[in-house]
Amino acid sequence: MVQFTLPQNSKIEVGEYFKDKTKSKNLRKINVYRWDPSDNKNPRIDTFEVDMNNCGPKVLDILFKIKNEIDPSLTFRRSCAHGVCGSCAMNIDGVNNLACIKSHEDINGDLNIYPLPHLKVIKDLIGDLSTLYKQYESIQPWLKVGQTGKEKEEIKQSQKDREKLDGYYECILCACCSTSCPSYWWNGDKYLGPAVLLQAYRWINDSRDNDKKERLKKVADELKLYRCHTIMNCTNSCPKGLNPAKAIGSIKKMLATS
Amino acid sequence: MEQNKNPLSPHLQIYKLHISSLLSISHRIVGVINFFAISFICFWILSLLLGEDNYELTKLFMSSPIGKFLIIFLCWTFSFHILNEIRHLIWDVGYGFDLKVAKISGIIVLIGSFVLTIFFYLMGKNFI
Repeated sequence: MVQFTLPQNSKIEVGEYFKDKTKSKNLRKINVYRWDPSDNKNPRIDTFEVDMNNCGPKVLDILFKIKNEIDPSLTFRRSCAHGVCGSCAMNIDGVNNLACIKSHEDINGDLNIYPLPHLKVIKDLIGDLSTLYKQYESIQPWLKVGQTGKEKEEIKQSQKDREKLDGYYECILCACCSTSCPSYWWNGDKYLGPAVLLQAYRWINDSRDNDKKERLKKVADELKLYRCHTIMNCTNSCPKGLNPAKAIGSIKKMLATS
Repeated sequence: MEQNKNPLSPHLQIYKLHISSLLSISHRIVGVINFFAISFICFWILSLLLGEDNYELTKLFMSSPIGKFLIIFLCWTFSFHILNEIRHLIWDVGYGFDLKVAKISGIIVLIGSFVLTIFFYLMGKNFI
């Protein structure tokens, strides 16, 4: 449902201000969304003054610096730090991105860091993605072959058919796109969202898969698919440079022409 | 985990507006405005059946500064909606999803809508 304002318990308050102690001249203010489940307070924005002379180039480096040197209670997900795992997806300067590949030098002024939009916050920068994972499960993201167990033959795929998966198989499911989509904000319980639909298209488009018709049928739904109004926030935010809007458009086209 | 206690992370409040999302939401708003505008024009035409007085009344309103502004504004909403709808139709056929192309087509729609507005206005002014 469309709800423009935040619920009462989610209103953001002004938090603590951590003044610089290193006496560095190259300081930058970093505003970070904080919420601690152990106290009964509203979320707040903490401001950290960070010494940029001794800091790595990426936003994740700043977060690590804050965690190591200023406030160890800062909580965020991260794993590979090379833009491959998708753990550190967050809202940086108003756009969803991976903290590990977003360079902070590209952003002017104070740096604002929030969790991915319109999710239940678990702690600080960690959002609850369980709905998205359930939706991902619902499209059955695995190869379905007509073979019975006995004839285990290799399923060959021509180079041309393999190329059809380019731009889709690279998705790391970081949820940047889905959580940037206003349609997904308002109808996240029913609309599948760009990330899951891109995955759905990846399996529909796989020449080795035998379940194309069923897959298309399953996704053809007023709410599941057609809540996409080509707002294109998804494509604008994808850190891997993929195009979920195009994938959704292709599914729509397939349904219209089949 | 107790889910109700957990706050909702901010969304509209913090998300940056891109040209594509700006045009998308304007398309909707303008669509609603056009719905009412078309109804209004229909009622105006219907009022012709009731005699000259009603027609004159609407004409009087239309020639006032507010009425003139309304006409120009509606010229814009119609041109914008038509152009953006063409953009949507091209998407439906499967073209123009590339980020750069979408951005350029968005700018074309925005500039084109103003050009069309001027065109409509001048055309209307010369004919009527």
